[in-house]
Amino acid sequence: MNRRDSDAVRLEAVRKIYGKGDSGVKALGGVTIGFPRGGFTAVMGPSGSGKSTFLHCAAGLDKPTSGAVVLDGEGLTGMNENDLTKLRRDRVGFIFQAFNLLPALTVEQNVTVPQMLAGRRPNRKHVHEVLASVGLLERRKRLPAELSGGQQQRVAIARAIATRPAVIFADEPTGALDTRTAAEVLGLLRESVGEQTVIMVTHDPVAASYADRVVFLADGHVVGELQAPTADAVAERMTHLGTWADRVRTTTQAESA
Amino acid sequence: MFRMALRTLRLRKGGFIATFVAVFFGAVIAMACGGLMETGIRTAVPAQRLAAAPIVVTGAQTFQLPMKNPGDSGEDVVSGDLVERAGLTAGLAAELAAVPGVTAAVGEVSFPATLVGTGGQTLGHAWSSAQLTPYNLTSGAAPALGEVVVADGRVGDRIDIGAHGVVESFRISGTASASIDEPAVFFSGADASRLSGHPGLVDSIGVFAPVGTDLSAALNGVSAEILTGDDRGVAEHPEALPSGENLIVLSAVSGGMGILVAMFVVASTLALSIQQRQRELALLRAIGTTPRQLRRMVIGEALIVAVLATAVAIVPGSLFGRWLFEQLTANGVVPPVVAFHQGFIPVAVAIGAAVVTTLVAAFAAARRAGRTRPTEALADAAIQRHWLTGTRIVFAILCLGGGLALSIVTVAVMTGPVAASTAGPAAMLWAIGLAMLSPGITNVMTAILQWPLRAVSGVNGYLAMLNVRARTVRVAGAVTPIMLATGIATANIYLQTTQNTIADLAFTENLRADAVVSAQVGGLPPDLVGRVQRMPGVAGASEHVTSQAFITAPFTGTNDIEGLPVSGVTAAGVTETNAVKPVAGKLTDLSGNTVALPETLAADAGVGVGDAVTLRLGDGTSVDVRVVALFAARSGFENLLVPAQLLAPHTTVGLAPQILVRATPGTDVGRLTETLRTLTASLPGVVVGDQAVLVAEHEKAQDIGAWVNYLMVGMIMAYTVISVVNTLVMSTARRRREFGLQRLTGSTRMQVMRMMGLEGVMIAVVGVVLGTIVAAGSIVPFCLVVSDSVLPSGPLWIYFAVVAVAGAIVLLATLMPTWAATRLRPADAALNDD
Repeated sequence: MNRRDSDAVRLEAVRKIYGKGDSGVKALGGVTIGFPRGGFTAVMGPSGSGKSTFLHCAAGLDKPTSGAVVLDGEGLTGMNENDLTKLRRDRVGFIFQAFNLLPALTVEQNVTVPQMLAGRRPNRKHVHEVLASVGLLERRKRLPAELSGGQQQRVAIARAIATRPAVIFADEPTGALDTRTAAEVLGLLRESVGEQTVIMVTHDPVAASYADRVVFLADGHVVGELQAPTADAVAERMTHLGTWADRVRTTTQAESA
Repeated sequence: MFRMALRTLRLRKGGFIATFVAVFFGAVIAMACGGLMETGIRTAVPAQRLAAAPIVVTGAQTFQLPMKNPGDSGEDVVSGDLVERAGLTAGLAAELAAVPGVTAAVGEVSFPATLVGTGGQTLGHAWSSAQLTPYNLTSGAAPALGEVVVADGRVGDRIDIGAHGVVESFRISGTASASIDEPAVFFSGADASRLSGHPGLVDSIGVFAPVGTDLSAALNGVSAEILTGDDRGVAEHPEALPSGENLIVLSAVSGGMGILVAMFVVASTLALSIQQRQRELALLRAIGTTPRQLRRMVIGEALIVAVLATAVAIVPGSLFGRWLFEQLTANGVVPPVVAFHQGFIPVAVAIGAAVVTTLVAAFAAARRAGRTRPTEALADAAIQRHWLTGTRIVFAILCLGGGLALSIVTVAVMTGPVAASTAGPAAMLWAIGLAMLSPGITNVMTAILQWPLRAVSGVNGYLAMLNVRARTVRVAGAVTPIMLATGIATANIYLQTTQNTIADLAFTENLRADAVVSAQVGGLPPDLVGRVQRMPGVAGASEHVTSQAFITAPFTGTNDIEGLPVSGVTAAGVTETNAVKPVAGKLTDLSGNTVALPETLAADAGVGVGDAVTLRLGDGTSVDVRVVALFAARSGFENLLVPAQLLAPHTTVGLAPQILVRATPGTDVGRLTETLRTLTASLPGVVVGDQAVLVAEHEKAQDIGAWVNYLMVGMIMAYTVISVVNTLVMSTARRRREFGLQRLTGSTRMQVMRMMGLEGVMIAVVGVVLGTIVAAGSIVPFCLVVSDSVLPSGPLWIYFAVVAVAGAIVLLATLMPTWAATRLRPADAALNDD
């Protein structure tokens, strides 16, 4: 029990099937996993392994077909869209691969949007500290279109950490960046851990190596994990994953035949 | 959310221009129509001739017309219009003068008078009423019997003046002038009374008393109206009153249509802008915006755009309203004496209407926005969305059902041209119903179109077809206005041409005149018809007087507020000049207090030949007449026939304005016409022509009505066209990236253009076909009723013109932005996010 309470996010036998009946596509086939507070976890897997679905279900963006998700001590099962939205606003931060920012708002406004949406007055001093920590204090009046891709991702990080959420979800945050800029962004993400829990979905072994732990997904199942990973170890594991997934697929077909 | 909406608007002006333009033009139309309506409601006619009298008492131009069988439960009445001047007895002036507080009360008569020689058209009055303007003598003295006061002339000279069908010589006793420029000639009281054609009656009475003086003691039991301020001019120009009513109807219909179109267009532009920002909305949802907040943001944006657009529309709206009014007066729909009024009320109402319209449209768009799933931020926003919502189905069923019901009513219940009143709205309902289902219909129709298109256009056509089918919802946004434009234009124009054709037919099929003698001003001498009849080569001649009358007893239930057309004829010549075939009785018995009725009306009233009916004539006089004949009449064009001698004194002119002449077989019509010209040479302003003169006159009156209709249809068309261009430009320009990608994968710029051209063709074809269905839904039932034919009368080129315009607009609005969007290097365009 104690261990579970210390988890920022916990998934219990989460299944997600898109569509209905025979034509339904199984994206997650019963995932049970916990993410401890203050940890930086990377979720990896080949294309079609259910990474995105996993992220959507864990973050309350999408509802699982069955199973339970507990986020910061709150069970998401049975919550309606409004409750989920408010939960996301208060306890979750998001960093997407691209299209992270509202084009009409300045950097500073983008960072304070979630607080404004919640009807709270943003603390200017705190926001400026956060912007300074990502190195964008001078550019706070700029519009997103005037920033480079890396700078845009740093704004997204600032927005995600500004509300001091329980968990930050990052979906391929460096997917659209060059290696050097990616390293900067990941370093920044790494720094924010300690106060916050970070769960990052990626297929890049280098990106995953910034995490404390890597969880591997294949065919909708958790198929392993690595503590204190190196890029090489992750890459090695990923190569085998493909083979593993093929084997599982063959077995399932044999069973159903 | 409001601040966010503002920021979004400031950055993304482009996405809202379409909505702005749509609301702007909608508000301009609404304001202009509001101005026309206010003008109609006020019917302000500043007093000219009667300007000096603070109060004008005039005969009421309406009367209480019972609408229910008096035997039932009596009090249901409407005010029936009296089309002829309802006079007041001259003695009433003395009674009014005796009312405490009244310093003077002066009766006014006004009649057309022609100054022979100079040919000047003026109005004749009695000198005693000169003070009502006032006119003051500049030389000479007041006129005695046989004398006149004129504007220009030498005292003591003689002048010939034609009035009331006669030409008489008068001595000029003096000259007078006034501050108005309305030509006038003043007679002695006795001459004026005689020449007005209504001895003992006055048109109105100018009362010199403070406004608000209680005149009820003198007016007790008199059907009169008390006018003050800008209403006094109505006493000078009673024709302004019905034109005011026409203005109200006209502006209500056009304004309503404009608002309806605006609702469609704004809804589609908003939906388009929501679709194009799908990703942004999804991001907002992901980072904590509730669906409710998102809806409020979308509505807030729309509200800001609507308020800005309506604010900008105020000045153009007022100018456009004035311009429309000038067109209406220039074409004789409204007398120019009516003053245009556009106060703050129509502006406020139009702003309210435009804003509410936008809000209704925005609610629909906001509902869609609120359903955005946050996960869409993570993936490419899907193009195709589920469109067939419950609301759409309900509205489609209601509207199509309503359209069908109206069409059935048109065919089953309505008779004659009145059928247009159900056929017109039916078109609107069909249009809305089809608009609701247009994504589905577009899909089905493009599926049918794909085979011929692929056959003729190869790979470009294939791509165009795929694009259209993949974006059915978006394409339907362009199809709907095209459908509205073609549907409304075709339906209204052909309803009008068919109505005109039928009316002309009804008018001419009963006429049998070889020659027509017409007085252009005033009337013809009463003895002229007898002289014409006795001329050699004349088979028959009949006076021709037209007016409106009501059958007040026995109750028929067929009265409307305008009454029935009534024609005055001369018994001795009616069978020769009129093709009407009596089914009972004889038309030649039409003398004294008699009437000939269409058999349908007689059946409604339950009367036959020999029975008595009570008529209310155009000046409000009630007469008991005996039915002498029944005849068959075209449905919807029933008219009454009465002796001209009975009818003429109860018209404003007081005389028959025309005589229809039928030649004996073998007589040279040209020679007859010449003889008639010689006979009438001494009468000023009398012309002799053939039947074409009458027909032309009738068509001219018809054309005024038609012209108004075309003007309004044109306005709505223009608005719809602006919207189509708007929508297409907006959605095409946004596909820059797609064009770039396509060119990177091997398309030439020409191929992209050709593909878009074919997309345009598909949109146009689907829109035009649907528009034709809409028009047919309204025209076919109407034509079945009025002409027993499925097809309307009217030139076919109108339809082709409408189709061609629709096609050209779609192609231009698609190809121009495509050309602009493909000007970038493909690689740059492909990188472009928007």
